[in-house]
Amino acid sequence: MALSITTAMPTSFKVELMKGLHNFTGASNRFKMALFKATASGSGTFGAATTNYSQMGSDELPTATGYTQQGKFLTSVTPVADGTTALTNFSALTWTSSSFTTSGALIYDTGDSNSACAVLSFGGDQTVSSGDFQIQFPTANASSAIIRIA
Amino acid sequence: MISTVGGVQIGIATTSAVSGRGFTPEELAEHAINEVISIGNNSHPVIQAQAEAFREDIRAVITNYLRQAVASNNTTLTNRFRDAGHPELVKLLEV
Repeated sequence: MALSITTAMPTSFKVELMKGLHNFTGASNRFKMALFKATASGSGTFGAATTNYSQMGSDELPTATGYTQQGKFLTSVTPVADGTTALTNFSALTWTSSSFTTSGALIYDTGDSNSACAVLSFGGDQTVSSGDFQIQFPTANASSAIIRIA
Repeated sequence: MISTVGGVQIGIATTSAVSGRGFTPEELAEHAINEVISIGNNSHPVIQAQAEAFREDIRAVITNYLRQAVASNNTTLTNRFRDAGHPELVKLLEV
């Protein structure tokens, strides 16, 4: 069975927000992004029901050729309001001198037992060969930011 | 009448990959500008035109500084190669 990734905000994350378990303020070295394998190389299903980084298991890219398991730390943008919407965002993240194929990513909180914050599908396999691979986050506004409470 | 609209929402992240090289200043400037400035389709045409002009101005500034950053880093690498006794490697930096 192939890897199935749906862009979603985990339901568990919404509950954890209400419990005050995630702090995005000045949160460098707290939130991480890990990459999934290519679609045909994995077998799990990830989306709103994903709760923790540990669920990635063998569906995470192996440590090799530019990628290290557990992924990289994200630099978060301190939450702000845009109109009546609260939002937070992350700075772009780059894997340099890399060779791999990935189909999605998981953002998780190392400050809360690696709980899942966002599941991102890349809409298909993305391949880099002896080059740079970058994730760009949307503009930090009420209609686009990566995490919003409207 | 009472209505409620809202919810916890997720945005769309995009990916870029280049093979056999790193990103150029122009490519990185494009990524940066997309992160900094977003122009809504529903904006007034005059506002859109002003925003587009501003966007292009900012793109030029970012591109220029990224090129300077690359050139400055090459200066640093040049000195390191020479200090390490490998001046012949400096030619690899000359694009």
